[in-house]
Amino acid sequence: MPSPQTPSIAGTALDPTSLRPPIADAEIIRVSPAELRARLISLRDEGLAMLLDVGAVDYLERDPRYDVAYHMLALSPAMAGQGLVATPRRVRVLVGVPADATTLPSVADLWPSADWAEREIFDLFGITFEGHPDLKRIQMPYDWEGHPLRKDYPLRGPAREATPRPAFALKSNVPAGAPPAGKVAEALQRQIARARGQAEPAAPKGDEPK
Amino acid sequence: MSLTEIDVIERNPEESTMTLSMGPQHPSTHGVLQVMVKLSGETIETADMEIGYLHTGIEKSAENLFWTQAATVIERMDYLSPLSNALCYVLAVEQLLGVTDRIPPRAQAVRVLLCELTRIASHCVWLGTHGIDLGAIGAFFYAFDVRENILDLVEASGGARMHPNYIRIGGLNGDIPRGFLDRLDELIEKFPGRMVELRTLLQNNPILRDRMIDVGILSPQDAIAYSVTGPSLRASGIAYDVRKAFPYSGYESYEFDVPTRTEGDAYARFLVRLDEMDQAMRIVRQARNRLDTPGPVMVDDPKIAPPAKETIALSMEALIHHFKIVSEGFRVPPGDVYQAVEGPRGELGYYLISTGNNRPWRVRTRPPSMYNLQVLKAIAPGNLIADVVVSIGSLDPVFGEVDR
Repeated sequence: MPSPQTPSIAGTALDPTSLRPPIADAEIIRVSPAELRARLISLRDEGLAMLLDVGAVDYLERDPRYDVAYHMLALSPAMAGQGLVATPRRVRVLVGVPADATTLPSVADLWPSADWAEREIFDLFGITFEGHPDLKRIQMPYDWEGHPLRKDYPLRGPAREATPRPAFALKSNVPAGAPPAGKVAEALQRQIARARGQAEPAAPKGDEPK
Repeated sequence: MSLTEIDVIERNPEESTMTLSMGPQHPSTHGVLQVMVKLSGETIETADMEIGYLHTGIEKSAENLFWTQAATVIERMDYLSPLSNALCYVLAVEQLLGVTDRIPPRAQAVRVLLCELTRIASHCVWLGTHGIDLGAIGAFFYAFDVRENILDLVEASGGARMHPNYIRIGGLNGDIPRGFLDRLDELIEKFPGRMVELRTLLQNNPILRDRMIDVGILSPQDAIAYSVTGPSLRASGIAYDVRKAFPYSGYESYEFDVPTRTEGDAYARFLVRLDEMDQAMRIVRQARNRLDTPGPVMVDDPKIAPPAKETIALSMEALIHHFKIVSEGFRVPPGDVYQAVEGPRGELGYYLISTGNNRPWRVRTRPPSMYNLQVLKAIAPGNLIADVVVSIGSLDPVFGEVDR
């Protein structure tokens, strides 16, 4: 349900990762879900032993709808006691997840750090990870419904979204037919009186905003 | 059944094990963390954790704010080092805007200065509370005295003690005030003596040494597998520091060492953080020496930097730019970027997505506390129940950041 409180709800059909300006923050590799595990294992064998972070993005109208980003860093246990680590290689593996098949293979058996990261993506985006030892919610309560970081999840939550705000609380709630010039103060007086449950001052023309 | 302090939640007489629940309101968990420890006698077999009690949806909120407004909620993630969070986010946005090379040197020096002061303040909280966990109450007051001086400086520069929103996209929110450098000089002069006092109180204290040495040993293998960064990683022997490996804000021009230990136990992490405080003050002194010459503190780009108040009354363009920036923000070119800084707890990263709009499409945090805390599953087993407190304290998690 689109929400007036979430102006960035308008879905993006473009892929911002393909339009990025030349920034040398990491090497970017795009893979399909089927080849994800094999690619991550081969990168690990190349020396990118640390899985820094796993994060997800919801593009709403793009196909595939979600991206999951695996940030990897070339650190290894053999570097212990070897002096300062100089500019290790950074790689970002992006994998697209379509809206109708939100499942990825888990890598929690390869990197125990992925345990909580994958649980968080499952909790907030609803992407499941096959082979995860204990896939359950991590940030939200266990009985929560919905996945809050999805773009079609209202900012204030579904329950509060159903209760409208007072008419004078939000500028965007003022209808297109705004009160005529000079009558704004009168219209406001009537709104305030109505909100307080008092008798409304008489409307001059009957064109007050609802 | 209330789970407020330490409760027995399961007994298994056949295996002679018992599962205890610590927290989420236990004082030694440094926030709201629930640890389920399975015990055999007094020895820990497994430690499982429950987080999320402080989840506030900051990433969701940030998606619905302008690029500049989002920095205010992002500062509230790691509430012990808000300026590191702000700096990391701001650097990422500047990368997307392509203005990274145009940030004035004075702004960069002030950023470095304040971030290192914040590192000291954050370590002061860790040192004080870690001492209290182990029964050393006195050090808390010495540590918080230094922190108070630093918060006074932060308040002088940004107007607020904890979340000043002083580091802005493109530079700083105004120059440092008159008298700031004098107060900073006082702190620089006082600090080495305070460190001697803190070290005398804690470092060679036999009770503390007994509680920390050989407790919660983190091997380099586990550190890499669990993505541990920051002082905890360096206490296991791997000298990875984002300031040295991927310099930002001119860190390559400062002289400092990266303290490292190889033991990997709680005492090594304790010593690494103490040494880091000295190194941070070394950077502060160098940054302070760059602030004697005045200069601009905001990028010269009217589309990003709000014009000075004085010019608004005189220039039509300034008024228009000010109105546009305040009422609808500015647009950031589409793209994605990962930017990392060395926060007090480790590699703090932001993975930002822009679709060319005036709001971020996605703000993903790489929270160092969350990954560092997760390693408790690996380092707690084999230790005694009393050592859980030491292990958690030595990892220095901040739950505003773990749960976001």
